[in-house]
Amino acid sequence: MVSDFFQAYRTRHQLAEGWKQAGRKVFGYFCNYTPEELIYSAGIIPVRIRGSAENVDLADAHLPSFCCSYMRSALDQALKGRYSYLDGMVFPKTCDMTRALYGIWKRNIKLPYYWFLPVPGKSTDEAVEFFTHELRLFKESLEEYSNHKISDESLMQAIKVYNRNRSLVGEVYKLALSDTPQFSASEVFGILLAGLVMPKEEHNAMLRDLLDKLPASNTSAEDKVRLMIAGNTFENIELLQTIEECGGEVVIDDLDIGTRYYGSTVDESLEPLRAIAERYLRKIPCPCKHPAAPRLGHMLELAKTYRVKGVVLVIQKYCDTHLYDRPWIESRLKEEGFPVLSVEHSDTGWTGGKFKTMVQAFIEMLE
Amino acid sequence: MVTKQNEPATPVKPGRLAVSAALGTLNENYYQALANAKGEGKPVVWITSMAPIEMVYAFDGIPFFPENYAALCSSRKVAAEFCQAAEARGYSQDLCAYALCTFGFIFEKRGAFGDEVPPAPDILLATEGACATHPKWWEALQRHYNCPLFIVDAAYTVDSETLPEHHKAYYAAQLRELASFMEEHTGRKFDMDRLREVVALSDRASELWDEIDELRKAIPTPISQIDVFTCLFALVTLRGTKEAVVFYEELRDEVKQRVDNGIGFVPNERFRLIWDLFPIYHNMRLLNYFAEFGAAFVTDLYGNAFSGRLDVSDPFDSLAERYLSFFIRAGAWGKAEIYKKRAREYHVDGIVFHFNRCCRCFTSEQPDIGNILREELGISGLMFEANMVDPRGYDDIQVKARIESFIEMLEAKKYPKQKGG
Ligand code: SF4
Ligand code: SF4
Repeated sequence: MVSDFFQAYRTRHQLAEGWKQAGRKVFGYFCNYTPEELIYSAGIIPVRIRGSAENVDLADAHLPSFCCSYMRSALDQALKGRYSYLDGMVFPKTCDMTRALYGIWKRNIKLPYYWFLPVPGKSTDEAVEFFTHELRLFKESLEEYSNHKISDESLMQAIKVYNRNRSLVGEVYKLALSDTPQFSASEVFGILLAGLVMPKEEHNAMLRDLLDKLPASNTSAEDKVRLMIAGNTFENIELLQTIEECGGEVVIDDLDIGTRYYGSTVDESLEPLRAIAERYLRKIPCPCKHPAAPRLGHMLELAKTYRVKGVVLVIQKYCDTHLYDRPWIESRLKEEGFPVLSVEHSDTGWTGGKFKTMVQAFIEMLE
Repeated sequence: MVTKQNEPATPVKPGRLAVSAALGTLNENYYQALANAKGEGKPVVWITSMAPIEMVYAFDGIPFFPENYAALCSSRKVAAEFCQAAEARGYSQDLCAYALCTFGFIFEKRGAFGDEVPPAPDILLATEGACATHPKWWEALQRHYNCPLFIVDAAYTVDSETLPEHHKAYYAAQLRELASFMEEHTGRKFDMDRLREVVALSDRASELWDEIDELRKAIPTPISQIDVFTCLFALVTLRGTKEAVVFYEELRDEVKQRVDNGIGFVPNERFRLIWDLFPIYHNMRLLNYFAEFGAAFVTDLYGNAFSGRLDVSDPFDSLAERYLSFFIRAGAWGKAEIYKKRAREYHVDGIVFHFNRCCRCFTSEQPDIGNILREELGISGLMFEANMVDPRGYDDIQVKARIESFIEMLEAKKYPKQKGG
């Protein structure tokens, strides 16, 4: 049942406490550029650090107000002890905030393990070689921490589990190709969110179960306006619910927790570390990586394949990399016949009313 | 009450540097060379700060720094309209104002003096080495001008003391790639000996800059922060040319002479401060407001961000090492360590943080740098918000009130007996 996924996300902190009691180790990480397969192969459960809609209080002493609400909120949650179960944290180099926050977390949130992973900004052969080297260092450090060698078999095993996860989520996405998709966007969002905070094997089992017992198609979706949602992370699921209430049906996404995360697989025929390096540097890029054109290509392809009428672009206020691309992405999408509704938002202090008015007008225009 | 240092009848007149005239000429010559570049068939390379400018000079190119130009627009009071022009095209007003201002003058087709816009780029050269803004901004420029773009990736090593070899190797490999890229797009041959010359000149400029920085330790400190920021032009733009070296030799001599004669920028210097980080180009005079209370800035990280020593024997390797170890990239901890060391060596009483609203890359680290200095060394900090380029929303009266109470606090701490006097 889809509600199980929501439940898992909502109770993620309790779940993690449970794994701890069962003797497991849990690492937090930021961004979809963290090669989770490696952490997983060391027997550690990686969970994505999320923000919250709760007010930011404690983080104000460490971060100026003009930083993205995601990072401010995540730090605030950690300072409030919500992440007290973590054994370690991994920060990949993606945007300036992730880079800067490494030192700030390390100083203010005491944990046994911290790792900063320099992810190249490019995807050339030299970059792949560099990143493979970095992955080796990361692997060695994980081995030292866990006092346990990571064998090629366990690495292969982790790669398989993650690839399986990607293809199962891919099946969920494919359902939305139909005129009457079984799941609403907010339901799919719940499925995606659960995957960020639970062991992938469990997520896989739940997904398999869900796909085996598919509900009848959702005929109420028939006369809805098909949309794509693009941008970066948001905590307020109301955002999707509002779109649905206004007569929109989000059938596909270009989100950091969506297709940019669950897309591309790791090549199982290559040497594992190299294969992981290639996958992360050559996956559908987030705007912090160069060149930017492949991401636009990905968006256009999805928009066409999923027959959307328009795109809702949702970007965190103060998120530089996304905001630089916005005028270009918007105008290119429009040129290709996909009108865009663009919104800057903040996890804390979400203004639903204003958003609703904008969505209503947008959908009316598309109808 | 804090008293301004204007008794007796000698208002603070930070003596103008005699080399200011030379700086003016340097500036003029540079803009002339830029204007002539196309006619002389020299490639115009739009470049970000922290990018290997030596490669541009090695190809006899003329580098153009939109950052620098945006600063000029700001001091010419035309930055706000340029930023607005960019906002009107969908760029968020929260983005780096250097970038917004650049987009603005391109869209408006007007220069800082209401004149022509600087010549369009033949090549775009950016680095990932400072912030994530640079590559995104350069990608936008590439789409606008439709010209070749090269991004030099510079991996961050946040808490390792030494530079890992593979980081150097990756950077050096990119420099070799950049050399072929420049060959391809300029039609000129890469000449290793010419690069060696440029590298030697760049190194010498940095060496002189470091000497000047060292001279700022003197009590009273010899030059103003405004002079430091203004004279930085040559290190940023002309690093790798003879002109920069000649200029810094003159500057070093003049500063040394002041030190030898005990001449300070602030007569009766009472407080010594660190400035972190960006200048406020639309209000440079604010820096001298501190002087009215006998406070002088004795060091900063921004000015030093551009200097770094080089070795001519293996230019690529040496450039890689330098561009990867700029200490502006040190992270909150690393920077706090540098400031802790400087605080002792420069006899510092306090630190002033300009929370540059549009630069999350470096501003996000400032609160913790302040926290560390306060907790570990008891150094007080003043923090206030502004935007380095865009004057909109800046409240001079409020900022000055904050400065006054900051000085009052320093006063009570450093000269307790005179308190309430
Ligand atoms: S929302 Fe943007 S700025 Fe914030 S962490 Fe994500 S990518 Fe970075
Ligand atoms: S001011 Fe900050 S964001 Fe702008 S170019 Fe400089 S480092 Fe990057």
